Amino acid sequence: MVARLEITLKSHLFDAEGASLCRKIRDYFGWDPGAVRVIHVLTLDTDLTQAELEAVRREIFTNPVTQVSSFQPMGRDFSWAIWVGFRPGVRDTAGSVAIEAIADYLGRPPGAHEAAYTSKIYLFSGAELEQGQVEILARELLANDIIQQWRIYSRSQWDETQGIGLIVPKVRLAHTPAVAEIPIPSDEALMALSQERNLALNPQDVPVIRSYFGRPEVLDARRSAGLSAPTDVELEAISQARSDHCNHNTFRGKFHYRDLATGEETIVDNLFKTCIEAPTLTIQKQKDWVVSVLWDNAGVARFDENHNYAITGETHNSPSNMEAYGGSLTGIVGIYRDIMGTGKGARLVAGLYGYCVGPRDYAGPLRPRLHPRRLLDGIVEGVRDGGNKHGVPTPFGNLFFHPSYLGKCLVFVASLGIMPREVLGEPSDQKRPRPGDCIIMSGGRVGKDGIHGVTASSEIYSENTPAGHVQIGDPYTQKKMHDFLLEARDEGLVTFITDNGGGGLSSSVGESAQFAGGAVVELDEVPLKYEGLDVWEIWISESQERMTVAVDPKHLDRFLELSRRHEVESTVIGHYTGSGKLHLSYSGKTCAQLDLSFFSEAFPQWEFDAHWTPPEARGLLEPVLSEPRDHAKLLHTLLARPNLSSREWIQRQYDHEVQGGSAVKFLVGRERDVPNDAVVLRPLLDSPRGLAVSQTLNPTYSLIDAYPMVAASIDEAVRRLLAVGAFLDEIGGVDNFCWPSIQYDAVQNPDGRYKAALLVRANWALRDMCLAYGIPLLSGKDSMYVDGHLPGAFEETHKVSGLPTMQFTATGVVPQVSRCLTLEPKVAGDLVYVLGSTGNELGGSEYYDLMGEVGLNVPTVEPRGSLKLYKALEGAISGGLLASCHGIYRGGLAVHAAMAAFASSFGMTLDLQHVPQKECAAGRLRDDQLLFSETCGRFLVTVSPACREAFEARFQGLPCARVGEVTQDPRLVIRGQKGDILVEESLASLKRSWKQGNPATE
Amino acid sequence: MSPVRALVLTGFGLNCDYETAHAFTVAGAVPERVHLNSLVEGEQSLQDFQIFVIGGGFSWGDDHGAGVIMAMRLKHRLKDDILRFVEKGGLVLGICNGFQVLVNLGLLPGFEPRTMKREVALINNDCGGFRDQWVHLAANGRSPCVFTRGIDTLELPVRHGEGKFFAEPEVLQRLERQQQVILRYALPGGTPAQGEFPHNPNGSVADIAGVCDPTGRVAGLMPHPEAFNHWTNHPDWTALKETARREGKELPEEGDGIRLFRNAVAYFQ
Repeated sequence: MVARLEITLKSHLFDAEGASLCRKIRDYFGWDPGAVRVIHVLTLDTDLTQAELEAVRREIFTNPVTQVSSFQPMGRDFSWAIWVGFRPGVRDTAGSVAIEAIADYLGRPPGAHEAAYTSKIYLFSGAELEQGQVEILARELLANDIIQQWRIYSRSQWDETQGIGLIVPKVRLAHTPAVAEIPIPSDEALMALSQERNLALNPQDVPVIRSYFGRPEVLDARRSAGLSAPTDVELEAISQARSDHCNHNTFRGKFHYRDLATGEETIVDNLFKTCIEAPTLTIQKQKDWVVSVLWDNAGVARFDENHNYAITGETHNSPSNMEAYGGSLTGIVGIYRDIMGTGKGARLVAGLYGYCVGPRDYAGPLRPRLHPRRLLDGIVEGVRDGGNKHGVPTPFGNLFFHPSYLGKCLVFVASLGIMPREVLGEPSDQKRPRPGDCIIMSGGRVGKDGIHGVTASSEIYSENTPAGHVQIGDPYTQKKMHDFLLEARDEGLVTFITDNGGGGLSSSVGESAQFAGGAVVELDEVPLKYEGLDVWEIWISESQERMTVAVDPKHLDRFLELSRRHEVESTVIGHYTGSGKLHLSYSGKTCAQLDLSFFSEAFPQWEFDAHWTPPEARGLLEPVLSEPRDHAKLLHTLLARPNLSSREWIQRQYDHEVQGGSAVKFLVGRERDVPNDAVVLRPLLDSPRGLAVSQTLNPTYSLIDAYPMVAASIDEAVRRLLAVGAFLDEIGGVDNFCWPSIQYDAVQNPDGRYKAALLVRANWALRDMCLAYGIPLLSGKDSMYVDGHLPGAFEETHKVSGLPTMQFTATGVVPQVSRCLTLEPKVAGDLVYVLGSTGNELGGSEYYDLMGEVGLNVPTVEPRGSLKLYKALEGAISGGLLASCHGIYRGGLAVHAAMAAFASSFGMTLDLQHVPQKECAAGRLRDDQLLFSETCGRFLVTVSPACREAFEARFQGLPCARVGEVTQDPRLVIRGQKGDILVEESLASLKRSWKQGNPATE
Repeated sequence: MSPVRALVLTGFGLNCDYETAHAFTVAGAVPERVHLNSLVEGEQSLQDFQIFVIGGGFSWGDDHGAGVIMAMRLKHRLKDDILRFVEKGGLVLGICNGFQVLVNLGLLPGFEPRTMKREVALINNDCGGFRDQWVHLAANGRSPCVFTRGIDTLELPVRHGEGKFFAEPEVLQRLERQQQVILRYALPGGTPAQGEFPHNPNGSVADIAGVCDPTGRVAGLMPHPEAFNHWTNHPDWTALKETARREGKELPEEGDGIRLFRNAVAYFQ
């Protein structure tokens, strides 16, 4: 029987959910929505009797202190009602939790057909809204039609006896699962099939696939297994294995690089091997703290004698671009599973974020699927729920606005874990399934979710992209699994573990079978969310919250017992073998049999032309700008710009202190609202050791050249770690590339060759910087195809390609957290120093962007010189000579001096005359250049007068100058090189500009 | 003296268990992280412990009201066990999600023994969402609460979306009369926040951040004392350190949050 339970707050209580919706409506649309109250709907499709329904209403779902509820419609006084519920098959965690609770209360397990569905009714009253406005609210704020459905009721249409009626979004698939054999008589036929089935096969791979299936020995073996032509299961599996997302064909490709200015040609064979793997292996030889890199779900490095930490990062761009909340939530819980599946399993200790989106106030003609403002809010909330509900702190993150991300947003997620160095005497970072081990799928069940997610993210977003690949993560189920698997690990029950992410079982079992030497899987054993999935869908479904675990049969009972204890579903779906084959069956019949060697066949390397035109040749110039006269107004304006202003509204929504090891927070200072250079965690509470983490990105430098974009980001990450007190020798990195398509096409991608050259140059920078600074790449990932086709005003579409972007995540171990520093000056009378020389490097800067310019002189990194300075700084911090330390990054000296100062309760003076300068053509830099240049390698530090001599001694012969003082008077006073006062502003007003994103006027 | 044993509940989306156990270790107790199903299945018994803590987290995802489903399971599976534990003189502490569980379980405010009546609630923050920030707290010196003995003011982080304390006026009056309010959100000087955001971060009536039962042995609070286990947890520690250093002083290594746990341990010694 279906019953609809409606629950709402008692009428005299403040409805915070309704009120925050009203705030959003005012913010998004500028309308007065009046008042909104929310009714929570629980639709129960169960066998409960009337008496039982009434009992669960009262005992479980209604709080007698604050709520009222009814099985009758509760909507009464309103002018408009909007009902929003999920579409069939969308993960409804609250619905399944309701069923769990009911079963618990009644003391009987739920029937397989019993389900509960949650939805909401929003009641609007007290304002005159037009029907068209209400429709916009439903479509552009409350619901996303990919995952949700909605209905709108005016008061006059409302039937008080029926309300919304009984809406049951149950998945019904009138389909009998089958396996199809599909002959591939020609390359053209296979290509056509690829199009039709959305396999996204590369044309170069097609002959290799066909030749495999045509080989006599393969045909023989297949015949004895009852197979002839390839099955749909096999073709789908191959599509997954060969996708760019899984196989990194682009990074492993061959680039024909030509500098069009000099005519010089270079062949770059495999960016991954030459720019990531080779430097990392070289550095690993020199640094014994690098434990495990380049093969597992995450990299592993030493934390202390008895513990390692794991780190990895990736992106979740395409799904987030379509369903922001679900996409980013799935992204963050997905990256957690990488840590859970590193070595024999690690405990999560942090999650990190980076968002690149279009301008929040975009009002142009292009119509992205989700307006950037809604997109960003959704992304922020997805990571919030994923992190908070998982009990994992989210201590740090980035946000960057640029119109190029209107095409596709970037959602970077990264996570960190900690693991004992050994489990029962064996290294915990190593794992290998053995023939005979059971293959177990733990966690969630399999549905049609995310099918072709991997191949969809390997394509450009268009109106035809299947929407089915969008999912909603379930941190509750995953947290239970996390706790369970760590117990299983500690009891020595796990021989191998990996997560089910892109490609689902086809990737997790397919890849682990390579280690064991073979695998047999019975696909009818895989637990399903609902009946009617085809066999190939079971194999490649990306349903979330699942891990694949190898367990020795002798440990199976204990493993399953622990799984029951934690109420996590675990199912034996097959076993590993040494047969050299991947063998899949359904209902006792073979449905796929592939030689493992097939996956390492000589598939042709992808090839790219990469044509580089240097910025001068592209016509980039330094702008002709005079020295501004109103520096104060300029500083206020810069501080208020979206890419510099406060992001406290994001960070406050994230639990950044759970697990009790927060040592240096992201938001610091007297009012605890200014972002620090890096954060420091204490992952082991009985140890004083800390892990410093920071992330950087500088995409606008790509407008000039991707080499300095990457170099500056790595230098910045290093400085951010040094600023809190980490050591140069133990810095690890994670590179996450997001790039537009680099495959040249005269019509579709006319600048593909240029974008390919940018990718090569970015990788060269990565290689050079890692080698120069000695940073091993503990992990990394690339995400290509950051392009979108957006509808415009005249029913045309525009291709919008995202700026070539690399986010760099860096970690460093701190032996004693109590020696860490934060950015704000601590005591009046302290001396202010600038370390590092400022150059005329404003290309791609925030200042030029404000002026509508790009410029030419992009910041460059000079690692050799910088390293000397960094070593001296490291020594000075170790010696306890600094009171505060802050790097100078985007926005330049003035912006960062202001931020450091307004984080404290003191003022600051700066005299530009003393700021160290690089040589430049004009002799000396102008004041605005000194103030706003984004030259790398610089810091602003404060030092107690008592430490002055010792401090200065350490920087003998290095670019280091005393430029001012920390003052009692809470103003920022900046003197120009001629001694004139350029800025004399109260820090409170500067802070107001920065916090409100609106330049304050005094 | 036999060690004081503290049971820290785990499972079903609870978190904060490692740091809560750590706080008890620092305070001199012997903590154990125990899965709810170990208690339900009788593998472990509450009666072997002196202190029972339900810590922070999102039990059952906090769907259908924070702490509601955990409370229901405890009530149906462990009611007698819990009542016996309390009547025998055990201490019960609910932190954040645990506080939400205790009020839904009706162990708090516990006006009438054994009735387990829900009289107060923790509902959506007025600010409309989850918030992580540090708050100033003023303790009620006249409360019988064991955990807050000797504490005057305290700073701790709050991290929740459903922490607004709500009760109807007559319930509130009784709480006040019986000195069952243990902590209030305060201004930096220690005077009550009087609802002022963000000092009162969630709109709690009467700035209530925590309450106890009439015996003072069962208590719940939204702020996280276990998250101030070390002096470097405090958001201002780098500034405090530098000032102290110039004065030739050193700061105590232990975080102030440990005081609640020490009080619990001291109660049995």
